[in-house]
Amino acid sequence: MKFDPLTKDIYTDKDEFVKTMNCPYKMSWDNLEATSSTLRKCANCDHLIVETEGLTDDDLLKIVIQNPDTCLKIDLNQLNIKIISNAILGQK
Amino acid sequence: MPFWDRNKNSQELRVIKTARDKDSINRAAKSGLNPLIKKVEPSDKIRSKYSVVQNKKTGEIEIVGDYRGGFYSDDNNNFETVIDWTFYYPHSFKSPFAAYLIPKDIKIGERVFIEDLIEDYIGASWNQGDTYRLESCEAIWNGTDLKIQYDPRANRSDFIG
Repeated sequence: MKFDPLTKDIYTDKDEFVKTMNCPYKMSWDNLEATSSTLRKCANCDHLIVETEGLTDDDLLKIVIQNPDTCLKIDLNQLNIKIISNAILGQK
Repeated sequence: MPFWDRNKNSQELRVIKTARDKDSINRAAKSGLNPLIKKVEPSDKIRSKYSVVQNKKTGEIEIVGDYRGGFYSDDNNNFETVIDWTFYYPHSFKSPFAAYLIPKDIKIGERVFIEDLIEDYIGASWNQGDTYRLESCEAIWNGTDLKIQYDPRANRSDFIG
């Protein structure tokens, strides 16, 4: 999984676009209601937010294809992610 | 305001828009809003890093942003670093000034939600040294200016969306 914190775009390791993260409520992980170890619920919009730390690229794509409005949580320090900053440099 | 609510644009708060060029500032002024002009001043606290590696055979380059893993190394060691890790300010705003568009009926002491902050505050940081701008924040109108209600706890390493 790759993530650009400037554009908030998520890609797979094979550069397939997954989604652009966008939360109009500017919520943070700590203010979400835990429903399981990998899911939290937002009180503002009733969306479930998926913890991506344990997901493979295939898992991630399946989740987002099934429901494109799925919200995700990404931590810059999680192990299954590479941070990219190419967008600001005119790259993908 | 409870801790968990600090970044939320609660329904009670008015949203303050930002205009980032002369034309949009003037359009807002004509529509009855009061543009509060601010300089766009990059903070040296906001920074991203990159490195450029080049394929010695093809000349093609890749841009790397993460220390972890040999992202662009290969078995034949075809890549060499042509620009070593370099930190830079990662934003380029089209105008060196911008304006918060203040409604005429705003009250002194009114708490508002600024959708697009002009000032640089750290919203997220990464343990590799990169720091990212806070995009939105609450503020209080004091009659002449918006006092940004920045809470350092907004500085996190996770993103939701």
